[in-house]
Amino acid sequence: MCSKVAAAAFVGAMALCGQDVPLDLHSSIDIKLPPDSPVALLNTNVRDSGASQRGGAMVIDLHMALSLRNSDSRTIRGITLLVTAQEVTPGGKASVTVPSLNVASGEAFPVRIDLRLLRPLQAGAGPLVQVSLDGVLFAGFDFYGPNRLNSRRSMTVWEMEAERDRQYFKSVLASTGPEALKREMLDSLARQQERPRIDVRLSRGGRSVTSAAEPERMARFAFLKMPDAPVEAIDGWAEVAGNEARTPTIQVQNRSSRPVRYVEIGWIVKDREGHEFLAGSVPAAEGDLLLPPGKTGRVLQDTALRFSRSAGEPVAIASMTGFVSNVEFANGRVWVPSRASLPRMAPPSPEEQRLADLYRTKGLAAVVEELRKY
Amino acid sequence: MSKHPSEANLALLAGGELSGWRRWSVARHVAGCDQCQHEVAEFSTLREEVRVMAEMPQLSWNSLAAEMRANVRLGLEAGQCVTERPAVHGAFSLRAMVACGSLAMLLVVGFLIEQPAPRAKESKVAEAVLETNGSGIQVTEGSQSMMLLNVGSRDVQYQAGGSAMGARYVNSDTGQVTINNVYVQ
Repeated sequence: MCSKVAAAAFVGAMALCGQDVPLDLHSSIDIKLPPDSPVALLNTNVRDSGASQRGGAMVIDLHMALSLRNSDSRTIRGITLLVTAQEVTPGGKASVTVPSLNVASGEAFPVRIDLRLLRPLQAGAGPLVQVSLDGVLFAGFDFYGPNRLNSRRSMTVWEMEAERDRQYFKSVLASTGPEALKREMLDSLARQQERPRIDVRLSRGGRSVTSAAEPERMARFAFLKMPDAPVEAIDGWAEVAGNEARTPTIQVQNRSSRPVRYVEIGWIVKDREGHEFLAGSVPAAEGDLLLPPGKTGRVLQDTALRFSRSAGEPVAIASMTGFVSNVEFANGRVWVPSRASLPRMAPPSPEEQRLADLYRTKGLAAVVEELRKY
Repeated sequence: MSKHPSEANLALLAGGELSGWRRWSVARHVAGCDQCQHEVAEFSTLREEVRVMAEMPQLSWNSLAAEMRANVRLGLEAGQCVTERPAVHGAFSLRAMVACGSLAMLLVVGFLIEQPAPRAKESKVAEAVLETNGSGIQVTEGSQSMMLLNVGSRDVQYQAGGSAMGARYVNSDTGQVTINNVYVQ
């Protein structure tokens, strides 16, 4: 009897610990760049990757360090790679974007892609993961790429925020000196630390993802006044039950003189203890919005979001606030808010995040040196 | 052999929705009638197909039902415009009986269609789900999943928007900001 129990325990332990499974990593990854791509693949390092068996499933860890070279004559400001694993998740895809780059012609730069796949032991042949180029943004906002993920707009927004923030930090440095810039960096790091760590679960179609025991209610958005925004959020609501919010809907009005084709509303949630966190954003569906000057339209998101703290503790939603976080006009130009009009809970721009991290790791001199490059 | 039960009763029998003596009487007839057995089997198949279709979340049964009602109304109004009223002999003419039968059939099918599986308040979600955890963002479909990991990250900022979830962090190896997004279709 004891030996049977011991054997069962051993088998169970083996299954739990996982057994290494041989995997041809180079044939598992398919990296495709178009023939006229402005970036060339120099090297792919998959050294730390591997696969292991867990019960009836296989866990594959793919750690790809790509080395790319700018083969264009223009300076690269950002790149987005599309990552798909059709055999594993046909309904899902991923992207890795590196914004805030400053890669001159001929220079090389790294991009890391780290994936974990869980799939049955028996699976079809062919590459597990396909990596392709979705877009490259150059200095001056030129763009190259198929833009399947609308990376053009996203990278343009981040680059505009980067220009805004670099300009701000340069003016702080010029007008009040390095000590003031240091205070800005410390304040930025403090704000990033203040932001609560919230786990989010999202499902499409506005269908419930929890066994919500709490009654459902219609919660209205409050909106931050942003006088310089070309679009004003007028009214908005979402179905809320406990820690879950479904189908947020926001009415917006174009108060600019140009037609608008995309609006994104930042979404701040306050819990019952009064803690605020950025829940996400409510973007207009692609091709769904064309707002002539003076007209109103509706931004609708057919999803359900559930919020919890890292320990799985539900975050009950007490109230919601929205603010216009970016706008794209019909001519492709993009508007981003000024630093002064952003709420404290708004996330720092990628560039501010990079500069603050540079300050933390290399000090103020490195930040000053970095700002001088632009 | 007794008279055949109506199509409506056969449909209700197929769905197990007849009660009392009526069920006993219809079932008794069906047990000895090949034609009615065949019809009941067809209703059962139809009901099963409707049940399977009702599990597809994209279909809006309410709008379909509304469209059907609108089409029926339109058809009746058009019929009134183009047909002459025949003289009525007795309580029910053959045409009126066919119309009533068709309407009854429509009502039964509509009733069956409007009885989909109860709307999900429970946690069972068949489609792809996105979620964040300490290591990254994961999309799960059934027993398979793909997770974009935040390796070498400091101060990860997660954000959900539309059909995507994003993680933004500074990679400690490269010093670059990396923005991982995972999308569900």
